[in-house]
Amino acid sequence: MLSVGFRALFKRELLRFVRRPKNTFMPPAITNVLYFAVFGMILGGRIDEPVEGIGYILFLIPGLVVLGTISNAFENASFSIFHGRWNEYIHETLTSPLSYVEMVVAYVSASAVRGLIVGVIIAVIGRLFVPISIENGLFLVATMVVIAALFAGLGIIGGLVARDFDDLTVMNQFILRPLVFFGAVFYSLTMLEPLWQAVSLLNPMVYMVDSVRYGLLGYSDMFEVAPAAYAEFAPLASLGVLTLLTVAVLAIDVYLFKIGYGLTD
Amino acid sequence: MPPAIETVDLVKDYGELRALNELSLTVEEGEFFGLLGPNGAGKTTFINTLVGLVRKSGGEARVFGYDVEADYQQARNAIGLAPQEFNVDRFFPIREVLMHKAGYHGIPEDEAGERADEVLKRVGIYDKRHERFDWLSGGMKRRLLLARALVTDPDLLILDEPTAGVDVQLRHDLWDLVTELNEEGTTILLTTHYIEEAERLCDRVAIMNEGHKVTVATPDDLKRRGTDTIEILLESTPPAAATIESALGEYAHEVSTNGDQLEIRVDDGGSTVPQVLHDLEAAGHEIADLEISRTSLEEIFVDLTRQEDRSVTRSSASSAGDSEAPDAGEQEGEQSQNQNQKQEHGHEREQEHEQEHEQEGVA
Repeated sequence: MLSVGFRALFKRELLRFVRRPKNTFMPPAITNVLYFAVFGMILGGRIDEPVEGIGYILFLIPGLVVLGTISNAFENASFSIFHGRWNEYIHETLTSPLSYVEMVVAYVSASAVRGLIVGVIIAVIGRLFVPISIENGLFLVATMVVIAALFAGLGIIGGLVARDFDDLTVMNQFILRPLVFFGAVFYSLTMLEPLWQAVSLLNPMVYMVDSVRYGLLGYSDMFEVAPAAYAEFAPLASLGVLTLLTVAVLAIDVYLFKIGYGLTD
Repeated sequence: MPPAIETVDLVKDYGELRALNELSLTVEEGEFFGLLGPNGAGKTTFINTLVGLVRKSGGEARVFGYDVEADYQQARNAIGLAPQEFNVDRFFPIREVLMHKAGYHGIPEDEAGERADEVLKRVGIYDKRHERFDWLSGGMKRRLLLARALVTDPDLLILDEPTAGVDVQLRHDLWDLVTELNEEGTTILLTTHYIEEAERLCDRVAIMNEGHKVTVATPDDLKRRGTDTIEILLESTPPAAATIESALGEYAHEVSTNGDQLEIRVDDGGSTVPQVLHDLEAAGHEIADLEISRTSLEEIFVDLTRQEDRSVTRSSASSAGDSEAPDAGEQEGEQSQNQNQKQEHGHEREQEHEQEHEQEGVA
């Protein structure tokens, strides 16, 4: 798997965003400083603890980490693929002897790395506002890796399907962002009426935000809102389902590369 | 050894349009092979099928015996492609672009760096190695495409219109370089519509038109297929062409007069001249001057593709009578519609290209 060719493509993908921090790391850093300052400090100071023992800023951190991670993983993969298609330099990869699996894994893992770096940056910024102690480290890392890979994999599909740059913006702003905002980033599901709790459980983002919150803070909304028999296993079940989903998305990516969807005539 | 390229009944359809029509071609290892044809003949489609940028609709295609779909990794590893379009990574300085390409082909980083330097020197843009592609001049961009094709040390080098729009100096540099590479053992497939280029470089050429092969021959063979014109100046005004024609044998395909001048079209001017002189003198004509003009490859090319066009038009006209065949006129209409769509698409791309720079900031 780790052939010279794979490493070359992975490195190329990493360098592309690492060398452009002004475009890749600065914007989420600034946005999140604003989020923490305004929502956390100014507004959060007037909001009761959403969950007993967890202040509002602390409660916000996992959701903002997820928001930053998945949108950057998605944006990086979709942009890299689409820009390569647009200027046709993706032909450099396509005409090389890399296998389709190697191509996809290189693109996805580099984009996931960008998402994870942004996630860490946001967590560090959060730490500047409030002390954090990580409750379930291994679970947190596993969940973060899985959701970063999932959205990098979805980004590949976005980059292959897009017909112009506006399509990329639409995907990020009109689909991803609303799902995340209604994914219990800024509030706890326990604050909702039972009807809206049930509706929220249909939003896949809820499980991602919740799992990361469980990993970081040891608290899961599922403990409160999910059926009693399920509640105890909720975080692990979420991780399992997300992992399966990620594998499925990567398989679709490889299939699309194989048939040349959006890539070949 | 299997041939460098072997295709059997290769077909590529774009909807109604057949871009490759049962194309069977064999290019032997070590050959310098030319692919000639007017715009839209299917040359680039053919090449892109080999490297995996176009999916074939039917038939077989192999590179050094490797099927381009089943054994795509081996087939692609053997090929270095210098395409017509500038499809180069804009994010990195050109030396790194070359190193990445070498890396994708399994060449370790240290060696990739050495190779990148070597090919940049070879094409003469080593001093630009830290520049990005967009900052190179048109000629340098062309050179870089060649360098990128060479950096993986391919057994088969494919050059798609490498000299389109380049100046004379660069054209000659490129010619020298590819000749040298061919002498070193690299098989070369060159597409061009400059006949002179094919004549000068290629061992064999295939002429393509509308997706299929018209003929494959050496440039010399092709030239022999054309007719030569013997221009003769007689001491006295020549009589009617028909009178002269009756004095000559069957070798004279066509006789015409132009003032004092007599023009006779024959297969091979050089070997026919003594017979012509003999026959004319026997008929009582005195010859003042004589010149043979040979058909250029260009004329033969135009002739061959024109004959093709005529036969294609005829066959589609006759198929129009067939109730099951699509109406020829309608087909033509669709083709031009396709072209219009392409143009519109091109226009869109241009507009969006402007947006791109704004959008890049988003990444």
